[in-house]
Amino acid sequence: MMRVTLTMKPRSNPFLPIEAEQIIPENFIGSRQVMVYEGNKEHSLLNICVIRRDGNVNTPENVSLILRGDWSRVKRVGEYMSSGTIVVEGDIGMHCGNFMRAGKIEIRGNADAWLGREMRGGVIVCHGDAGDYCGSGYRGEKRGMRGGSIEVMGNVGEFAAEYLTGGSVAVHGNAGCFAGVEMRGGYLTIDGDAILPAANMVAGECVVKGRVLEMVPTFERVGEENGMIVYHGDIANRGKGRLIVRSTSRTE
Amino acid sequence: MTEIPEAFSFSHTKQPSGGVHDGVVTDVLCPFCGCLCDDIKVTVTAGTITGVENACTLGAQKFLADTGRLPKPIRRDEDGWHEISYDEAIEYCVEILKNANRPLLYGWSSSLTEAQAIGVHIAELIGGVIDSTSTVCHGPSILAIQEVGHPGCTLGQVKNRADVIVYWGANPTDAHPRHMSRYSTYVDAYFMHNSFRDRKIIVVDVRRTATADIADEFLQITPGGDYALASALRAIVRGRDDVVPAEVSGISKVQMMQVAEMLKNAKFGAVFFGLGVAMTRGKYKNVRNAIELVDELNRFTKCTITAMRGHWNVYGSNEVFTWISGYPYGIDYSRGIAYYNPGETTSADLLARREVDAAVIVGSDVGAHFPRACCEHLASIPTVLIDPYPSATTHLSTVQIPTAVNGIDAEPGTAYRMDGIPLQTRQVLPCTTHFTDYEIFSRIYARLKEEKGA
Ligand code: SF4
Repeated sequence: MMRVTLTMKPRSNPFLPIEAEQIIPENFIGSRQVMVYEGNKEHSLLNICVIRRDGNVNTPENVSLILRGDWSRVKRVGEYMSSGTIVVEGDIGMHCGNFMRAGKIEIRGNADAWLGREMRGGVIVCHGDAGDYCGSGYRGEKRGMRGGSIEVMGNVGEFAAEYLTGGSVAVHGNAGCFAGVEMRGGYLTIDGDAILPAANMVAGECVVKGRVLEMVPTFERVGEENGMIVYHGDIANRGKGRLIVRSTSRTE
Repeated sequence: MTEIPEAFSFSHTKQPSGGVHDGVVTDVLCPFCGCLCDDIKVTVTAGTITGVENACTLGAQKFLADTGRLPKPIRRDEDGWHEISYDEAIEYCVEILKNANRPLLYGWSSSLTEAQAIGVHIAELIGGVIDSTSTVCHGPSILAIQEVGHPGCTLGQVKNRADVIVYWGANPTDAHPRHMSRYSTYVDAYFMHNSFRDRKIIVVDVRRTATADIADEFLQITPGGDYALASALRAIVRGRDDVVPAEVSGISKVQMMQVAEMLKNAKFGAVFFGLGVAMTRGKYKNVRNAIELVDELNRFTKCTITAMRGHWNVYGSNEVFTWISGYPYGIDYSRGIAYYNPGETTSADLLARREVDAAVIVGSDVGAHFPRACCEHLASIPTVLIDPYPSATTHLSTVQIPTAVNGIDAEPGTAYRMDGIPLQTRQVLPCTTHFTDYEIFSRIYARLKEEKGA
């Protein structure tokens, strides 16, 4: 195993966003220079953090990156990641795990928006809350997350799992409006409450174990399973998805 | 547009290049809202506008109440505001932009497309973000169009063919006062016998507006209910009314069935939607659902949908930005290539997250319309406002550069109507005191190129 600890240095302008898509395990094998963008200036990763390596390996699956300090403004960590692990000890910025294919990202704090955007495989676990568009697609993209799994222990913002096409998103807290909107496949489970879940879905399965505070009116009730109500839809979109809810404000 | 010579000196007095000192200018383009009415007649007496014909109250005010312009650029220091020259103001602007890490160029909807184009080139040169006012108005409508396309048409088609008009979350009587008399409700249609009587108007809104008062069907929905209503109407139109509950968003199923029937039986339906759809809960999903309703209706009849664009040439900003960068607004050049992601690269988000370290605001009033956190941040960084008039944003800025007013005393250029039709502005008055935004941005761009060695 090789453990690489990246400790963020104090920054003169801590609000400037950093884009760091090169922070993936395979880039820390050997002596490759890792570059990041801070605002519109390109720097070496060494300019923004202290790097400490413990151990030496040849394969990325044995690399574990530990991100320490304030990474809440650092975007695109773990983009296209295909093996190894990343552990973020605090919060992480937007687009963590974009297009991820394999490996594991663990976030001990909160994740900003677009966590696991268009993810293809691998595992993301977020112990805090995740922002808007968790497990969704990019603007105008017809398919969002296609494989892998995202588990969020807290709440998620709006449009979680938008265009979900494969894989699973599990939210243990509440979801904002339009979780699972335009779903094309995959599984979305929300343990808490949701507003207008699975709107315009075509396929896939969305389960809401808390309350559905508002329900899209174009789902067809087809029965009950394990004490929960099963709907098909979204009929407005000729959809054949399954929306399973414990309770809803909808009057039939 | 006049070509800006390389050695253009802003220290010289500007030479008048058009407009009239006394007389009547016809076919003037109104410089106020997205309707861009192009039939305005303006009377000028001794260099002052004394009469306006054909414009609505809003448009007439724009011409007649053209007072309170800032005479010269101003700069703020510890002792307050001081007049400075155009050259000094432009040098300040160049200075704050050339080394900024996250510069923002925001506004652009009162500018001509020619000036907007230079703005995109400046953003690319400095690695900045360029964004237009669509970020706080119909930006979500563009996102929806990117998802499902746009069954649209020109306002001329609506005028001459539409027999069922829907205003959804829009109140043209107050916001686009001549929209109904030029393009929809009251206008004579070429292809209809008795258009005024035969045309049906449907209004969807959360409150009874002046537009709702003249509607044949008024659907007063509960706030935030647009998405659910559009879904229900889609299901009804496609014959699945069996799944629709007895009431959706405060509207009875009976009324929804009636409206769906009116829309299906139209010879030509035209839906116009405003910020009541695009900027309420659900935002682009509301617009997408409305577009998909229109798609569904096109299985039965001809139906189109158009956004009620508000700020004069906002449509032009989206066109110009897209020609050059591939994206319509919120374009981030920080890595040298264009990147776009509303919510991440849009002005309000950038300012609220305090990312921006230098800003140029062009012809729009951030101080009056953005959240407090954004205004506070803007006031804490070097900000240049390029606008003819003092506004709430003046108080957040360090320098303000006044310009000639496009469509009044600026040289002619291009602006886009809400349906995507480009029109040529007219110059009504000669101008010797103010440079146009096109001239100012040309100068800033030339100076930045010198500084960057580009
Ligand atoms: S409707 Fe709009 S463009 Fe037409 S005159 Fe009124 S303000 Fe001007």
